[in-house]
Amino acid sequence: MQSTSCLKLETGNWKGITNKESCMETTNYIVSMSPHVRGGNTIERMMATFILGLLPTCLVGIYLFGMRALSVIVLSVASAVIVESVIEKLTNQRLTYRDLHAILTGFLLALILPPSVPWWIPVIGAGVAITLGKMVFGGLGTYPFNPVLVAWVVVKLSWAERMSLFFEPHTTNQVLTPLMAVKEDPALLYSYDILPLLLGDKAGPIGTVCALAVLVGGIFILYRGVIRWHIPISFLCGVALFSFVLRSINPDLYPPVTFHLISGGVLLGAFFLAPEPVTSPVTPKGMLAFGFLAGTLTMIIRMWGAEPDGTFYAILIMNAATPLFNYLKPRAYGRGKGA
Amino acid sequence: MGLFSKALTLPKSIATTTLTLTEAPLPNRVILPLRQYIGEPAKTCVSVGDRVKVGQLIATADSHNTLPLHATISGKVAGITEHLYHTGIRLPAIIIEADGADSWIGPKAQEDREPLSPDEMIERIHGAGLILKGLHPIPLARDLSPVDQPKTHLALTGRRVVKRTDTLLIAALDPEPSLGINRYHAQRENDQLAHGIAALKAITGAQRTVFVVDRTQPPFPQLIEMVAKDEEEATRIISLDGTRFPVGLPIPLIKAALGREVALPYGHPRDVGVALYDIDTTISIGGSVKSQIPQVETLITVGGGALAQRGIVRIRIGVEIGALIEALGGFSQEPAKMILGGPMMGMAQYDLTVPIGKEISGLFALRADEIGRSKDYRQCISCGLCVKVCPVNLIPGLLSLYCARDRFDAAERERLLSCIECGCCDYVCPSQRPMVHLFRHAKHQLLET
Repeated sequence: MQSTSCLKLETGNWKGITNKESCMETTNYIVSMSPHVRGGNTIERMMATFILGLLPTCLVGIYLFGMRALSVIVLSVASAVIVESVIEKLTNQRLTYRDLHAILTGFLLALILPPSVPWWIPVIGAGVAITLGKMVFGGLGTYPFNPVLVAWVVVKLSWAERMSLFFEPHTTNQVLTPLMAVKEDPALLYSYDILPLLLGDKAGPIGTVCALAVLVGGIFILYRGVIRWHIPISFLCGVALFSFVLRSINPDLYPPVTFHLISGGVLLGAFFLAPEPVTSPVTPKGMLAFGFLAGTLTMIIRMWGAEPDGTFYAILIMNAATPLFNYLKPRAYGRGKGA
Repeated sequence: MGLFSKALTLPKSIATTTLTLTEAPLPNRVILPLRQYIGEPAKTCVSVGDRVKVGQLIATADSHNTLPLHATISGKVAGITEHLYHTGIRLPAIIIEADGADSWIGPKAQEDREPLSPDEMIERIHGAGLILKGLHPIPLARDLSPVDQPKTHLALTGRRVVKRTDTLLIAALDPEPSLGINRYHAQRENDQLAHGIAALKAITGAQRTVFVVDRTQPPFPQLIEMVAKDEEEATRIISLDGTRFPVGLPIPLIKAALGREVALPYGHPRDVGVALYDIDTTISIGGSVKSQIPQVETLITVGGGALAQRGIVRIRIGVEIGALIEALGGFSQEPAKMILGGPMMGMAQYDLTVPIGKEISGLFALRADEIGRSKDYRQCISCGLCVKVCPVNLIPGLLSLYCARDRFDAAERERLLSCIECGCCDYVCPSQRPMVHLFRHAKHQLLET
């Protein structure tokens, strides 16, 4: 066709293509529906922002727990990517490692594992996250439960002993995490200061010990707009409100609000696990309810459950209710209150 | 994107418009379709070979469902054939070849019989061939005709009501930040504006006038003076941030300026007592009512990275895209997409012989790197960004899933028909889902059956 002449307007021969000859198939111009410009927001960019937000936590974790932490992170990320690619090759799908979601999954899983775990736990965990958590449902966008938490629960229930071994920072002395200690003996609460808890001078999973690093990363992803404020804020509110009420009832038995907010997985859960796009609600009201109830559930498990830290279980349970929270829709414009 | 706000901030390269006026040279030929929108075609009253002058009536309209046509250049009627229009359909059109003289028909005998009745004003507006721009353009006279029938679709109250129009809302900002005609008019003196406002007030019965201006623009001496001169204090200025989208679209504009919600999907601003017209239309109304000038020229915004010249251009209606671009200096870089209308809501064109009609407010030639759409789209990851930006509070991601799976009834229950097709959800989607495409397809399926 002569449609190439469309482009050479300078020479004045655009009339060379007459009206009857032209059709959408032969044109050199892209023909598609509006909008004709796009914001440049991509899944890759979202995932990369998440990973960037996790970097401070990773670095602090490696600083505190040395090569052990580094090897857990590397093994977890590598096995997540490899397992995903192998599954996609076997099932004849397009490779999706470039969307960075497998890498993010690996990172997040490593950060909620204790630094003491043997090398095969992150490998199995990442494999479970990708296969059972993500790929069996059809990949990114379809899974009902946060794959990271699915994997965490599987390894936690399978190797409970190994998953409860925590090291003191910079050493390999086995100690209890603050939450475990307080659960056993509330009197131990007075041995913990806020500042060390905030800066990471305590035992715990790699990514949750330094509350400050998590907070910095969380505010970064919030600022970049990949998550919205509703879930983190309502989650933290749920935790704070519940612990405040308990603390008011009996200050000797129950730890203060700040202790609950910065210990365990609360901050990591509030900023990185609960607002995970696929498994969290999309409506503002739904997100608020989701976050608040997940925060409350965290506290219930912490206080009366068998586990010292209920964050990950709470989020996983609330994931199941996400479709329900999505019914809390904003009032549609121009439809009246009841319509 | 802000943390809490709904509207989008488009990138500077797209959203900024140079508000300088260029007069486009006379085209060698114009193509004037007998029908611009859904409605009856006008009846031709010239035949091939006739000589016509600028402003001469060449096709007549029986009712307000049809627009009369006027010759926009002087010359010879070269043909009355089917021609491709920017909506993608072929329409019967009158093609006029220029004689270069640009001779106008003599001015009509001015019987300055004061005052005109509203009906006479509407007839003059209709006689001038004015159109109401927008997603679904209709003859302006039809939009202005009194709403005397009670409307049953007012879901906000559920009762059959006739609402009195109390506010005349004059938009001095553009539907899209990329377009600049209204902002151009807002900063310049124009005698016709006062006439247009007077006519609109007489026709609609509105008591007060509200100008909605773009906060980011320099002050508007003319509008401020009009507010100052109004002794009854029935004129106001409301400023909104016009660089954001979709602030300038009718539905969000009425909400932002007056806090009123038009019932969707079938509501009309008049239902909530608002007569909303942009400043460009108001000026045309002034001209047609006062001096009965038929509309032969229009201002459009020309932009996009592929064009050598950008800004506001005065064109003769019916000039072909290719001829206009050639007259404006051609392409500076290779264009990838030709758009009539704005980059957010316009229509992509594939043929440069498409004429620019009355309802067009912009011509954009975008480079490949400005489009930024990947070839394929992916699964919705329910990130909720679309929910955040939707101006009419829908759940676009869910709707797109329904539409992609042909579940149009479910989409309708989720209020698909309320969608105003602004494209914000499409713009922010990280999975690059073609939201508006899916919605239009589903709407078409729903409304056809």
